[in-house]
Amino acid sequence: MHFLKLISTFLKVNIQMSLAYRADTVVNILLNIMWLGWELLGLSIIFNNTTTLGGWGIGELIALLGVFRLINTMMASIIWPNTEKFNQSIRDGSLDYTLLQPAPSMFLVTFSRITIWRMWDLILSIVLIVAGVRMAGDVATPLNILTFLLLTVSGAIVLYSLWIVLIAFTFWFTKFDNNVTILQALLDAGRYPVSVYPAWVQIIVTYLVPIAVATTVPLQALRGDLTFGRVLIFLAVSIVAAWVASLVWKAGIQRYSGASS
Amino acid sequence: MLNIFKRLWQVNWAEQWQYRANLIMYLLYWLVSPIIYLSVWTSIASAKGSVNGFTAGDFVNYYMILLIADQFTSNIVIHNFAYKIQDGSLSGELVRPIHPMLTNTLVNNLAFKALILAGFTPVWLVLTLIFKPDFSGVTWQGVLLSIPAMLLGFIVGFLLSAAITSLAFWTTRVYSLHEFYFAVILLFSGQFVPLTLMPKIVQDIAQYLPFQLFMYYPIQLILGKLTTAQIIQGFVVGLVWLGLSILFFNFVWRRGVKQYSAVGA
Repeated sequence: MHFLKLISTFLKVNIQMSLAYRADTVVNILLNIMWLGWELLGLSIIFNNTTTLGGWGIGELIALLGVFRLINTMMASIIWPNTEKFNQSIRDGSLDYTLLQPAPSMFLVTFSRITIWRMWDLILSIVLIVAGVRMAGDVATPLNILTFLLLTVSGAIVLYSLWIVLIAFTFWFTKFDNNVTILQALLDAGRYPVSVYPAWVQIIVTYLVPIAVATTVPLQALRGDLTFGRVLIFLAVSIVAAWVASLVWKAGIQRYSGASS
Repeated sequence: MLNIFKRLWQVNWAEQWQYRANLIMYLLYWLVSPIIYLSVWTSIASAKGSVNGFTAGDFVNYYMILLIADQFTSNIVIHNFAYKIQDGSLSGELVRPIHPMLTNTLVNNLAFKALILAGFTPVWLVLTLIFKPDFSGVTWQGVLLSIPAMLLGFIVGFLLSAAITSLAFWTTRVYSLHEFYFAVILLFSGQFVPLTLMPKIVQDIAQYLPFQLFMYYPIQLILGKLTTAQIIQGFVVGLVWLGLSILFFNFVWRRGVKQYSAVGA
């Protein structure tokens, strides 16, 4: 209850902030549509030359694009703005005030900034996923849909945890303010099924920076490609990742000594 | 003038050298998308034998050379200039008797390039061991011709980016516009896929635009894939765009500086 109340307050504050830049918001939405057009054009060029990519058809790639955009939305609406604010607060010491507030610091640091207009991307993503699955002609059973939803959330949790660890590193290495670039740089790999990449790239995007866990894997679940055992493993991994991340965060906070003041 | 450039180089090199830790991150950005496209197209080509005449090996060659061409022809004007208009710190440079864009910003770009090239070269060599491109089709004439082509690509690209960044004199923020420009480059430069695989209409338009100078044209020159007529046409179009971009930049710059109100300073 407490968290829901906080989130709704954050949303309210962020809506007010974005209303100050209305023209910017409109332009950004137009750019967003342009990129969607570009992505679909890219897929149509690819599928003019082939019928399958890494074993997947065009419908499945459109659905994958939808899942990719979900993750991308999380990146753009939460991860980037909060990282920016966090890095700033480490530099000028304003993190002190966050730590004083009576709510878990990890929650406050990671959710206080939300880029509101990005939320419309969620709708777009869902449209892409539904349309893609229809085109592919896959029969999505209720069980498949349920595992898809679970694995999308767990994939997002894995990336969120990795992000927490990356920004927590700033407590040890102050000059580490490029912390999320590695996530963003590799994110693009999630547009295509991980099976098209050479083995060493697959290892990087599955284990090191697990973009694939949040993109390819949920869609595999939707197609019914995953065994029950593997689904359980992925869910377990996300729980462990979140636990490790909160430990690293706590250790980091303990090292923090405040800046300037 | 030479002394000025020498001094600017020292200053900008020292500035870039400070940020050498960020180098790995820049390199990552540079490498990821060509490697993704390389993987996608080689996976298609090896499944089907060839795509429109391109074998898997041809795609590997194309994207490996693309990495080089991109290094030489790209610029970071939007990153090292736009903020100066926004926060007013350009004022100090404007009172100097030298052109801020064509001296300081240009040299800063070159220093950035020199630094990143030092990191890029070993990475590129490792990638050639991994992907095993076949450069037997590369000719000396092609490599020699590609040097003026890439130089032309860099200068035209620099002037166009400089002109677009200078629109910030009116709008203050120019990042959205730049993002749009970036998408246009992606479409017409051959970054996504060799232009011959693009829809016919895109190819026809791309022939007359400057963007193929950034990637497709120098790549194909190096790989020896262009006919003499195509080579000549490419240079002619490039030179015309050189003239146009000089005019365009000068026009925007002159009016922009008059418009400049030194916000925030």
